[in-house]
Amino acid sequence: MKTKIAGLMLLLLTFINFTVVANSSNSAPTTLNIELTLKQQLGEYHPPYVASWIENSQGKSVRTLLLWREKAKWLKDIRRWWRKIGKKDADFVDGITSATRITGKYPLSFLAENDNKTSLQKGKYTLFIEVVRENGGRAMIRQPFSLNGEKATFTLAATNETDEIKFSVTPK
Amino acid sequence: MTIKKFIALTLTCAISTQALAHSRWVLPTHFNLSAEKGEWIMVDITASNETFNVDKAMGADLVKIITPDGKVSRPSSTYKGHRKSVVDYFLKESGTYKITNNSNAAYMTSYKINGDRKRLWANKEELSGKLPAGAKEIQTTYRYSRIESYVTMNTPSNNFKTDGKLLELIPVTHPSDIAENEKVTFTFLFNGKAQKNVSVEITADGVRYRNDPQTLKLLSNEKGEITFTPKNAGRYLLIAEHQENTPQSALADQQMGSVFLTFEAQLN
Repeated sequence: MKTKIAGLMLLLLTFINFTVVANSSNSAPTTLNIELTLKQQLGEYHPPYVASWIENSQGKSVRTLLLWREKAKWLKDIRRWWRKIGKKDADFVDGITSATRITGKYPLSFLAENDNKTSLQKGKYTLFIEVVRENGGRAMIRQPFSLNGEKATFTLAATNETDEIKFSVTPK
Repeated sequence: MTIKKFIALTLTCAISTQALAHSRWVLPTHFNLSAEKGEWIMVDITASNETFNVDKAMGADLVKIITPDGKVSRPSSTYKGHRKSVVDYFLKESGTYKITNNSNAAYMTSYKINGDRKRLWANKEELSGKLPAGAKEIQTTYRYSRIESYVTMNTPSNNFKTDGKLLELIPVTHPSDIAENEKVTFTFLFNGKAQKNVSVEITADGVRYRNDPQTLKLLSNEKGEITFTPKNAGRYLLIAEHQENTPQSALADQQMGSVFLTFEAQLN
C-alpha cells in the first residue's frame, strides 16, 4: 500500500513538474516593446542599417527582431549582427529583411519568441540594437533583461545614432 | 618597431638561429565580406618589420589562394612596386579563402667570416667548395615560412587543411569569428603533430604611431595551443617560429618553420 501511494505521489509530482515546465515554454508569451529612435543627423545622410536581436546568457543569438538593410554588400557593416548571425544563413537573412528607415520614431512590438516562434524560456537575455550609417557612425546598444514573469521598463541612453529608446518587457 | 628593439631582436636571432631578415605579411583589403554575386579583394604583399606599413617588395609569384572547395587558385593580376606587390582576386563562391605567399622550402647555411654573418642557399652535402676558407659557426637549416591570411565571404567554411610540413597554424577560433574582447584559440603543428613551446608574437596594427609596440608574447601549451584575447578591434600580425635540431639528417643541422598570419579582430 505504502509503495502504491509513493508511486502515485511520484506520478503526481512528475505531472506537476511537467506542467510547470510546459507553462514556462508554452504559456502566452511576454511582449517586448521597443520605441526605436533614429537620430536627426546634419549634412550628408544615408538611412542607417539597423539590426536588433536577442542573445541568451551564453552570448548566442536566439532571435533576430529586425533587419533594416540595403544591398548585400553592406550587410557586413552591421558588424556584430553579421558575425554572429547574418553570415551563417542567407535564406534566414532574406526572410527577415526589410527596407531602411529615415530619421524618426518607430514603435515596435515583438513576442518574446525565438527564431522558430517558440516562447523563450525564463532566464536572462540581452537586447542588442546595432545602427550603422554609411559615411556616418555606428552605435551598439546593449540592454540586459530577464524573462521572469515581471514587467520591466528600460530607457536606453541616446547615442550618436539614436535618441533615447524606451524598451519594456510585459508578461501577459 | 624601434631600432633598439630591432637590434635586440636581431641579436637574439643571431644567437639562437638565422634571423629572418624581415617580417613578411600579406594584407587583404577585407577579411569579411557579404555579397550576392561575388566580390573583389586586393592583397598587399611585402617584407616589413612595421605592422602594417609596407617596406620591401616581395614578388607575388608564390601567391596562392586556396578556395573554399580546396582548389589552388592564382591572382587574376599582380603589380610589383618598390615597396610592395599588390594582387587582385575575385571571390566567386561563398566560404573561407586562404591567401598564402609561402616561401619555397629551402636549405640555408649560415656562417661567420671575419666577424660577419653570411648565408648561402645550400644543404650540407652541397657545401663543399662553396664556403670561404676560415668560415666558422657553420649551421645549415631547412626552413619553410607560411605567410597567410583568411578571407571569408558570407558563410565561413573550414579551409584549414594541413600538409604536415614544419610549422602550421590551425585556427580553432574561426578567423571570421575573431572579435575584440573575445577569447581566440589557435593550434600549432610541427611536422603534423601538436607542438608545445612554439614562440608566438602578436602585434596590432599601427606600430608607427605608438612608442611601445605592445607585442604580446606567448608559448604554445602541451596541446600546441595558444589562447589570447584581442583588446581592440583592428588588424593583427601573428608571427610564430619553431625549430628543432635534426641530428639524423645528412642535409641540415636543424629545421625551422615560421608562420606569419594576418587577421582581423572585429568590433563587438
